[in-house]
Amino acid sequence: MSLEKLKPYFPWLTLGVLLLLVGAVNPSFLNPASLLQLVADIVPLFIMAVGMTFAIYIGGIDLSVQQVANLVTVIATVYLAQFGVFVTVICIAVGFAIGAVSGWVTTRQFVPSFVATLAMGFIALSGARFLSGERALSMNAEARDASFGWMFGNTGGVPHELIIAALLLALAWFLQTRTTFGRALKSVGAGELAAVASGLNVHRIKILAFALSGAFAAIAGLMFSVKLSGGDANLANGFLILAIVAVLVGGTPLTGGVGGVINTLVGTLIVVVIRSAMVYLEIDATMQQMIFGLILILAIATTIDRSKMRIVK
Amino acid sequence: MYQLNKVDKTFPGVHALKAVDFTIGRGEIVGLVGENGAGKSTLMKVIYGAYQPNGGTVSIDGTTVRFQNPRQAMDHGIGMVFQEQSLIINLTVMENIFLGFEQQFVRWGVIDWKAMAKAARHQLRKVKLDIDPAMVTSQLSFAQRQLVELAKVLALEERIKGDLVILLDEPTSVLAREEVELLFSLVRELTSRASFIFVSHRMDEVLELSDRIYVMKDGAVVDVVTQAEANVDAIQRKMVGRDVDKEYYREQLQKPYDASKTLVRFDRASVAGKFSDISFDLHAGEVLCLVGTEGSGREAILRTIFGLERPTGGTVDVKGASHCATAQEAVARGVGYVPRERKVEGIVDGMNVYENMTLSQMGRFSTRGVLRIAEEKALAQTWIDRLGIKTPDVYKDCGGLSGGNQQKVVLAKWRSGGSDIILLDHPTRGLDIGAKEDVYDMIREMCNEGAGIVLVADTLEEAIGLSHTILVLKDGIFQKRFDGSPGDKPTLYDLVHHMT
Repeated sequence: MSLEKLKPYFPWLTLGVLLLLVGAVNPSFLNPASLLQLVADIVPLFIMAVGMTFAIYIGGIDLSVQQVANLVTVIATVYLAQFGVFVTVICIAVGFAIGAVSGWVTTRQFVPSFVATLAMGFIALSGARFLSGERALSMNAEARDASFGWMFGNTGGVPHELIIAALLLALAWFLQTRTTFGRALKSVGAGELAAVASGLNVHRIKILAFALSGAFAAIAGLMFSVKLSGGDANLANGFLILAIVAVLVGGTPLTGGVGGVINTLVGTLIVVVIRSAMVYLEIDATMQQMIFGLILILAIATTIDRSKMRIVK
Repeated sequence: MYQLNKVDKTFPGVHALKAVDFTIGRGEIVGLVGENGAGKSTLMKVIYGAYQPNGGTVSIDGTTVRFQNPRQAMDHGIGMVFQEQSLIINLTVMENIFLGFEQQFVRWGVIDWKAMAKAARHQLRKVKLDIDPAMVTSQLSFAQRQLVELAKVLALEERIKGDLVILLDEPTSVLAREEVELLFSLVRELTSRASFIFVSHRMDEVLELSDRIYVMKDGAVVDVVTQAEANVDAIQRKMVGRDVDKEYYREQLQKPYDASKTLVRFDRASVAGKFSDISFDLHAGEVLCLVGTEGSGREAILRTIFGLERPTGGTVDVKGASHCATAQEAVARGVGYVPRERKVEGIVDGMNVYENMTLSQMGRFSTRGVLRIAEEKALAQTWIDRLGIKTPDVYKDCGGLSGGNQQKVVLAKWRSGGSDIILLDHPTRGLDIGAKEDVYDMIREMCNEGAGIVLVADTLEEAIGLSHTILVLKDGIFQKRFDGSPGDKPTLYDLVHHMT
């Protein structure tokens, strides 16, 4: 079997090897109960990464997700008492709208997505600061439990957070593989010019991809906020690089067109294992960001389709 | 004396140059002609060092040389004047002339601009261009830029010992007739300094300027003629390599079109900067061919029908209603577009056969946005069988199919969707003979089914052989209309005469 044919399986191999390595050093790591808890802890990150996958799948990127999540933690905390569980709708609508604006700026104003989403991220950050009065806010414990208490139970030993993640993944996977929208996303990622020449509304598809990324980031922010029972403009900081790493090491390259949300599941698991391994190996917390920075560069350099990118600036 | 001896160049799957012998003497002007894909550009790239030959030798004055890159070729006096203008237009003229060779003007680590300007003026005098070398290049006309390119190459003269060989790739394509005259007299004068290799599609110009002409076909030099013995017809016959065969283009299958049914009507239509005042009707069952050189407006007309350009004057009607505002609308109204760049615009490399075939018609294969993939696969299998597409199965990535099979997938996409206005831009480019014939068969079939076809052909023979109607364009302006009924087809010369 050639190296090229093996390429799609690299993320799975990486995950397996990492698990074995960490397990060899610390066998208790492979204990199912602790693994399950480990995974449940990163559900918000995973959901954000799934959304980000849509943006990267079409060959773009969404750098606003962390700030969207920050803004949503504040919105959720401020409006929980007033709207109860329906604050979810507001949160998702805000994320969707921010993503849609990023997409509009990218497609209609020809601002590359990394700049458009970075800028929208700052706008979201300002919104979060304004709304929170630059303070860390707490949710009313009763209101939280009444509206979102169900999020943290267990059913048959499976944390509810994991079930939510699985449902969202199933939804994203269905969109990607079974709908005309998913097919259109793939064609835009793999061959945008051919998509245009086939009469696809490429602008609308791209705008929707960014909007979905924003909506998923909002769900991530909401879950995180409920989990920590509060919100502030910096709560989700540190998510962005992990989300990008999860998508890229999962096997969706920056050039788009291949990979997808299942890859992102694998990528997220790789990120989790690496992060816990660093804790076991007592790597200083200040070093961890550096290591993820290096992994990000490595992941892009090894996965990018060079035939599509002649000039990089 | 620059010489190529049995030079071979192969790419994966393509034998691009086959044992090419080529010589050019001091002060000589040599023409190089051939159809698209005959190997002219590969040969030029070997000469100026962009490609390294796989076999044979290159020698200058009897010494064998081997260039790893264009810079090394330049150091041996070989310079290229690029067709698509290699000047960087936001730099000044003198910066362009000495781009990559600024070291000679550096004093104490900074560039002595006065010295550079002086040297640039000297180069500009060689091409009789009286402009300020500190001008920004974007302010120059195309003709002036062409001369600056030439001056840039002539600047090699002071840097190297031997003779200069200068390649001119389609240097006249953007020039007006008077400018062409000026360029030619300049080139003739410059033969005291350099020899020239002149590549052009304009046969009359090649004949006018060249001392000898190399004729290429399928990667080989098929003839070398001197100016005295050259004539356009003989050279064109050599380029094509055969007399045009009626059966090859399926002329026996050409049936009269249905003049009562108009699919597309251009009425004095214009697109600013692309074409103006164009009128024609496309009927059901008709192949209408747009003939002209690059930039004559052919592609813009196709793009206008497909909704990618908007008419700025006159009217364009599609099936009795106004023009299509977007490509989505065009597809919905039955327009299918087979673009020139098959690999990037025709198919999606990275998607499989059925995904490619339904890309333009996903609405027909879905219920409220959810795809009915089994039906897609069945459709793909039907067309794979019907057109004889060589693929192991419907799951094969289209990027891995041969060019001919990729083109069949693109055509199947439109035919299976019921499109009846088919726009074909160079549909046989880069295909081998058998695949070309398959495309010709499909064109006839589509006509018989009542589709109207607007064709921009890869060669003039193809245009003549396939068309019911030929419109000749030049610089976006209508020149002449020919009727192409079998037995009454125009000749190559008729067309070329109006194109250039």
